[in-house]
Amino acid sequence: MGEFLEFQGVSKRFGPVKAVNNVSFSVKRGEFFSLLGPSGCGKTTLLRLIAGFEQPDSGRILLDGQDITQLPPNHRNVNTVFQNYALFPHMTVFENIAFGLRVARRPKDEIEHEVMSMLKLVQMEDKAWHLPSQISGGQKQRVAIARALVNKPSVLLLDEPLAALDLKLRQRMLLELDLIHDQVGITFLYVTHDQGEAMSLSDRIAVMHSGVTEQIATPAEVYEAPKTSFVASFIGDTNFFDGIVSSVPDDDYCLVDIPDFADIEGFNGVLCYNDKKKAVGGRVNLSVRPEKFGISIDPPRRQFAHMNVLRAKVEDIIYTGNHTNYWVSVGSRRIAVYQQHAGYLLDEKPIRWGDDVWLYWNADNGYMLDDEAAPDPGLGDNVKGV
Amino acid sequence: MTRTSRIPLATTIAILLFFYIPIAILVVNSFNASSTGGAWGGWTLKWYQKLFANEEMWHAIRNSLVIGVTSTLVSTAIGTSAAFALYKYSGTRIQKVHGVVLYMPLVVPEILMGISLLMIFMAVRLPLGLFAIFLAHVTFSMSYVAMVVLSRLQDFDATLIEAAQDLGADAWLTARKILLPLISPGIVAGALLAFTLSVDDFVITFFVSGPGSTTLPVQVYSMIKHSRNLPIINALSTLMMVATFVIVLTSQRQSRRA
Amino acid sequence: MSTRKLREICATAPSLVWLTAFLLVPTLMVLTFAFKKADPMGGIGTEWTFATLRSLANPSYPAIIWRTIWQSLATTAICVAVSIPMAYYMARTGERTRRFLMVLTILPFWTCFILRVFAWMSLLHPHGIVKNILVALGMADPSSQLLYTSGAVLLVMVYNHLPFAILPIYASAEKFDYQLLEAAADLGATRATAVMRVFIPGIKAGIFAAILMVLIPALGEYVIPDMVGGPASEMIGNKIAQRVQNDRNLPHACALSAALMLFVMGPMVAYLFARRKGGKEGGRFSI
Repeated sequence: MGEFLEFQGVSKRFGPVKAVNNVSFSVKRGEFFSLLGPSGCGKTTLLRLIAGFEQPDSGRILLDGQDITQLPPNHRNVNTVFQNYALFPHMTVFENIAFGLRVARRPKDEIEHEVMSMLKLVQMEDKAWHLPSQISGGQKQRVAIARALVNKPSVLLLDEPLAALDLKLRQRMLLELDLIHDQVGITFLYVTHDQGEAMSLSDRIAVMHSGVTEQIATPAEVYEAPKTSFVASFIGDTNFFDGIVSSVPDDDYCLVDIPDFADIEGFNGVLCYNDKKKAVGGRVNLSVRPEKFGISIDPPRRQFAHMNVLRAKVEDIIYTGNHTNYWVSVGSRRIAVYQQHAGYLLDEKPIRWGDDVWLYWNADNGYMLDDEAAPDPGLGDNVKGV
Repeated sequence: MTRTSRIPLATTIAILLFFYIPIAILVVNSFNASSTGGAWGGWTLKWYQKLFANEEMWHAIRNSLVIGVTSTLVSTAIGTSAAFALYKYSGTRIQKVHGVVLYMPLVVPEILMGISLLMIFMAVRLPLGLFAIFLAHVTFSMSYVAMVVLSRLQDFDATLIEAAQDLGADAWLTARKILLPLISPGIVAGALLAFTLSVDDFVITFFVSGPGSTTLPVQVYSMIKHSRNLPIINALSTLMMVATFVIVLTSQRQSRRA
Repeated sequence: MSTRKLREICATAPSLVWLTAFLLVPTLMVLTFAFKKADPMGGIGTEWTFATLRSLANPSYPAIIWRTIWQSLATTAICVAVSIPMAYYMARTGERTRRFLMVLTILPFWTCFILRVFAWMSLLHPHGIVKNILVALGMADPSSQLLYTSGAVLLVMVYNHLPFAILPIYASAEKFDYQLLEAAADLGATRATAVMRVFIPGIKAGIFAAILMVLIPALGEYVIPDMVGGPASEMIGNKIAQRVQNDRNLPHACALSAALMLFVMGPMVAYLFARRKGGKEGGRFSI
């Protein structure tokens, strides 16, 4: 399986705005690939460049080795599922799905057969003769998918296909999309701003921000080992720590001095896994996910070889059922800590608002980010998704 | 609110009575043997007979239809093209000017358009008559067509075009299979409006009509002014109203089904 | 030139050229002819003069101009005032009734304008039904005059312009959030206060549009005063038509038209200004 869909230095401007800025990456045949990012990050533009609705200012797009950069949309073997479905309101469900085949002048009986098998795939056989206005949002969604898939595209482009559906329906369609992808086996390129959708469906995710791809990796990698502070904060919640390397005791770890913790008595630095091979004096931007922290009233046992332990004071507690979110102050910082209600916590004294606690984490769970300064200093204060 | 006010309903009923009582009396009077219409003089169809025998009237109706049909065809074509230009190229400097100019006939009082057209026709020595009336009617109705088509276009979902291209259709096929079927009700509505405006217009026509080029409203006006054959105007009104009511109601039903 | 530009020009040219030739240029001609002398043949002379413009100061004109303005304003005020309750009713009633009322409002106005005026002429006629009923009820003197009065002009003008007030106000009223009236009542407002301070400000875009759509054509009105009015109810439009049709003094007609244009520009500019100030909400109204 080689590179199937390839971007080579693709850029696109709209007036002064660089919607897509020198993007290069490739998608494998049969892959479920997501473009994830906030609105305006360039993900939809990238999709429209593949579909042919926009032309790049520079760069090339290759599909199966063929340069399709200049090809008009109707000559590209890719099909799109539009965000608002874009079903033709004057045509029945059947005619909508048959449109691409009719345009391609396929024989009548073949069209009939193909459309019917597509309707079966999306479980819409009984609605074949309805107009789009007579079916529900979820059903429109299926028709839109069927209309695109029936043409057997090399790549299926999906532009926020679930955004217009309510939560329950979205979850069901998510499963169905996954199933359809497994059944048809073609390459899916999925654009979304919803990290949950991207994480649960994709083989790989490209996280986009301001027209560039910040990280391209599997969902687990993107979450567990974010490359940049944007990726770390866009996918899941995190705490950032700015600091300067004060000593490098061995090849793998370094001690980082964090100015925010300067006034803590006896603080002599945070231990970090030094995968970037920083030297003394190097700037470090560290991301630690809230659930990676441990919190306890009693001093913690030494669980890991490289453990950081700090004194903290509990400022806020939010109980959410399957876990509890704490906001603790350490030095001049607020840090978010998410704790699952694992059994061992029951033995301990319950943690209350205002308690002095111990905060600890495995040095391996702190990730040094590519960018050396966190975009916002407020760290624990700007954790989303309480 | 505990008790709903009766004022809105009462006003609505009063307005509808105000709209329809004059029309109803006109219709009744078209069958009234008394020629002044102030009192009932018995049933008659003689006004209708006189109407059908009135040569001048038929001549005027013929003129109105000729101008109505030709000006509708031309103004629908130009107005539709204008609407497409405004929609597709919106925001360019040309379209900003175009939009303002296209809007003017909708807000300029008819009498000003009438005198302006008279001035230009005199300046270029165009003889006043049917052709002048045709030019005048195209001038005011194209804007109405453009606005009706434009509002239809603005409701049109532009991603449908992309969807059709995405499914392999070229520009021509997209226009024929997607754009036209979805826009045509707007074009038909625009044409219907243009035709009605043309047949109905009196003020502008009055300024640019010449001898022998009388349209129906001009003919009716002169009959009223000279108090000639007033009761046959009742008959004419009744027939025209029945015709328009039937057309409007069917087109309403059509558009509701679509 | 790019093909896109070329296509744009092809699509724009017919309407733009046509309207330039038959609307913009003629309007400018009317404005310049106001400074020309009449020629004895009933055309436009070659000499320039301010005399035409000065003759507008003739005492009869200020009276006519004043009458034109107040009759138009009165028509507008009545149309808007009665349209608001009807629009409210239409907006709050069921879908079917609403559609039915909409058709009923538009229907009479698809019939010929001249014939609608004629309907009122025969109603108000000295031997017409209204007069007969009023006399029978003892509410009018047999010798009193209904037709050819300013009252008749006002009545028929309201009749003809009313739908153009109802439609835009209804369009706004339909979008109005009626929970706001409940909120106002909840906060202690009486019904009248709620309507005056919540509903009417809420539909002001529609009201502005209605004012414009009634006032501008009303200022240029000519057929109605001509047919149902008397010499004491003439408007500028009548004078323009008389100068063209009867005395054939075109420069004079042009000067009057220029004056009318100024009056029409007034409310237009005010509307555009109000729209800019009030933001874009509901500003665009369509026919």
